[in-house]
Amino acid sequence: MMESDVIFEPLQFRNLRVKNRLFRSNISGRFDNYDGTGTQTRISWEESFAKGGVGAIISSYAPVHLRGRIMPNYAMIDTDDKVPFWRTVGEAVHRHDCKYILQLSHSGRQRDNPGVENFKTKALSSTSKMDTFHGLLCEAMTLQQIRETIQYFADGARRAREAGLDGVELHASHGYLITQFLSSAINDRKDEYGGSLRNRAAFLLEIIAAIRKEVGDDFHLQAKLNAVDFANALYPWEKKGNTLDEGIQVAKWAEEAGVDAIHVSIGSIFPHPLLPPGGFPPDELNWWYGTMISSGVRGYFNYSMFHFRFLRPIFSALWERTKKNHPVEAVSSEYCKAVKQNVNVPTINTGGYQDARVIRKVLEEKYTDAVSIARPLVANRDLPHILRSGKNLPERPCTFCNRCLVNAIANPLGCYDVRRFDGNQEAMVAKIMEVFHPESDLGHESIVSGPSV
Amino acid sequence: MSDEVIIRTAEGDLVDRVYTSPVDRWQHRFRTTLLLVVAIAAVLITLVMVHYFLADSTVGYDDIREHFKYGSIGSEPGGSVLTPVGGVLPPYLIFKTLPAICPERLPGGYASLGFILETSHDLPIGISRRRRLGLDQVGVNCAACHTGTVRTSAAGPEQIVLGMPAHQLDLERFFQFVQACSLDDRLTAGNVIAKAEAMGTPVSLMQRLLLYLMVIQRAKLETLSLRNRIGPLLNDPTLPPWGRGRVDTFNPYKAIQFNWDLSSLPRDELIGAADFPSLWNQQPRDGMHLHWDGDNTSLDERNLSAALGAGVTPVTVDYASIQRIHDWILKLPPPRFPFPVDPAKSTRGKVLFDAQCAQCHSFTGARTGNVEDITSIGTDPFRLNSYTYLLATSQTLLFPADVHHFQHFSKTNGYANMPLDGIWARAPYLHNGSVPTLADLLNPPAERPALFARGYDVYDEHKVGFIADTAEARAKGSIYDTRIQGNGNGGHLYGTTLSEDQKQDLIEYLKTL
Repeated sequence: MMESDVIFEPLQFRNLRVKNRLFRSNISGRFDNYDGTGTQTRISWEESFAKGGVGAIISSYAPVHLRGRIMPNYAMIDTDDKVPFWRTVGEAVHRHDCKYILQLSHSGRQRDNPGVENFKTKALSSTSKMDTFHGLLCEAMTLQQIRETIQYFADGARRAREAGLDGVELHASHGYLITQFLSSAINDRKDEYGGSLRNRAAFLLEIIAAIRKEVGDDFHLQAKLNAVDFANALYPWEKKGNTLDEGIQVAKWAEEAGVDAIHVSIGSIFPHPLLPPGGFPPDELNWWYGTMISSGVRGYFNYSMFHFRFLRPIFSALWERTKKNHPVEAVSSEYCKAVKQNVNVPTINTGGYQDARVIRKVLEEKYTDAVSIARPLVANRDLPHILRSGKNLPERPCTFCNRCLVNAIANPLGCYDVRRFDGNQEAMVAKIMEVFHPESDLGHESIVSGPSV
Repeated sequence: MSDEVIIRTAEGDLVDRVYTSPVDRWQHRFRTTLLLVVAIAAVLITLVMVHYFLADSTVGYDDIREHFKYGSIGSEPGGSVLTPVGGVLPPYLIFKTLPAICPERLPGGYASLGFILETSHDLPIGISRRRRLGLDQVGVNCAACHTGTVRTSAAGPEQIVLGMPAHQLDLERFFQFVQACSLDDRLTAGNVIAKAEAMGTPVSLMQRLLLYLMVIQRAKLETLSLRNRIGPLLNDPTLPPWGRGRVDTFNPYKAIQFNWDLSSLPRDELIGAADFPSLWNQQPRDGMHLHWDGDNTSLDERNLSAALGAGVTPVTVDYASIQRIHDWILKLPPPRFPFPVDPAKSTRGKVLFDAQCAQCHSFTGARTGNVEDITSIGTDPFRLNSYTYLLATSQTLLFPADVHHFQHFSKTNGYANMPLDGIWARAPYLHNGSVPTLADLLNPPAERPALFARGYDVYDEHKVGFIADTAEARAKGSIYDTRIQGNGNGGHLYGTTLSEDQKQDLIEYLKTL
């Protein structure tokens, strides 16, 4: 045990103190009710990470409005009657000395599965141009709709505070609604919300202002931002979107507007060739992308690319071409460092964190103040305990295969890398299904020395 | 586009609410647009292809002399791509590159066969170009056999005389070469393209496609078909060669127009080569017995029939073009003798001519244009015998129920008496070109040259005819042997008994005609 490990130093934000530098990044499965009300499964899911030792959990995306739901079966924060559920989640997490930050989300056009409530309406966005990956259709928001949507975010933040949660995060990265305003590759508006970077940032900054007005200055508010868009990573003929300089500028404006932390990521869509870092397994895509075929007008095209083996190399070549210049582990750390050097509030960086040596390096060398982790924690809920015990990696670490990513659109979330189960499919499925049994000690079998917290 | 489709089932109607989601609507619109675009593109491509393959366009020449030399009379292949009709030559690109593809078969190129090449044109005089069946095709026109060259001395410039017999042209060897090289293994699309480009002739993508996909194969098949028909004539080494300045008019005609099996005909019937005639001054010939044997009395039918000999068919014929040439040659004057003429001798010669020749050879002669019985004229009979009753009958079957229907062909038993306008340029003499000069013709057959060269274009102003007995003439021309079948130089004894002086006077007068 390393008593003076930088990973386990507390992190003090303006309004929040987190016990260590490990955040559970936004991830969940389709565990909740279709209508956005929460379930015990979600509570168990979140609590399992808290038990595992992370300092704070950032919830999976919580839609602030039904029309901005990425896909069904995720608990929402769109109405006041959702508050009691979130309070329960917060209490469960708090029992393990872990903070809970709710991510306020609006899909914009990036509505992977619109669901029965949404499939007959186009999604709202900054633009009327479809998403270029799945062909998700959308229409540009009117000024009235923009004003309403800003208020949905503020209302979500208010509900989070009412639920006793520790803060909120604005999902302003990965191609969702706020990115659709920020990114020069997407936003083609001619009004005060489009054109210059300042105009494109107006939507984000007005949301921050509205939240501050709603919840005051003493409630933790962070923004998850793209340092760089890399909007032409998949299709080289697309625009490249916001540069690092623009990403830094947006972070500075967000800080001025009143955020307490910047959660730094990259990627103009989700998933993006660079994020989550790692593979994009064609077999899983063949099995599960079918659920998205009717979501967008390019669904059949993409499905064909994934389904027919002779077409896979074409897609693979496009998907892989930008990745060559980036590491899998700490994929966006260099960009985060650039952001951190330009802001005063703490940063959290996401993308490929698992190895203690890597995490320690980025913390010690001031790339970031904290890291957020999703998929390695899905594989090993008690990764913090393992790192705390002095190990650099779990015995069966996350392989960054991203099978969990593709399964998420159709199946319960868990680790789908059967190699980690010695090729035993039944054991793998059984492990995934444990999330439905609250009494199970979810994901904690791999603890090699007892928790020391 | 209806949002609801009713599906009738045994249990009742089902409503298929298609196209009610934005994605469905977008995809429906996209697919409809795509289908429309593809359909329009298909229609456009079809139209372009139909236009491309149905197009029949030829280079037009306002100048009638240019038209005569290079214009099309419809002897290029036509019909349809699948069943081409007519034409005896392969498409332009192949024709143009054949000498480069089989250089050892024709070392001097087409010019060595007596074709006349002018620098202003890339095809020889007598070869026309016409876009048909999606390709530039070539054909033979009137000028091939009816344009000759004359030089007044070996060092003198070559004078091209339109309407003059192509005494320098070896048509048989030309067809033999085209046939052999078309069937040569080296004739491939790649080779044609390479040779054409080496000549500076660009080959379009469409032409390349056609060459690779079908044209070479089709050209070979057409050549094989042609060879099957006229092979017994062209490829039988035991038959006398035509030699320069001559053509067997009616035997290829039998094979090509009527698909007769030449090998089943009597061998002697296949010997029918005769001199190319001149084309000038046709107006006063109307109504005379035309062709050497006088087998037709209609200028129009004679012209059309000659066109058929060049490869025209009732399907591909270009009547308007032939009519232009018809109108022009009605009054085309004969060329003037290119040397000085002694007026005194000539005047004396005219008296002799009027007394001894005019009856058969002046335009006003009583027997001019009539057929002289073979027993009285006594010249070589093979040409006469190659035109048969059966052929004459068959010719009346061409152009049925048409204004061009042949009605004037008949079998004769002799050779027609010809007017002698421009006779100096019509050497060698007699129907089979068996006598090189007028001076020789006025000698008894035994004194006429038995072996001589023809096709050499340097003129002998004294004997009136082309120089036929020098080493140069033998090297440039083909050797004519009067002792072989069809080449006999006997008969036409008229004038052979005149005195030397009288003969000189008569020859001097003939120069002026």
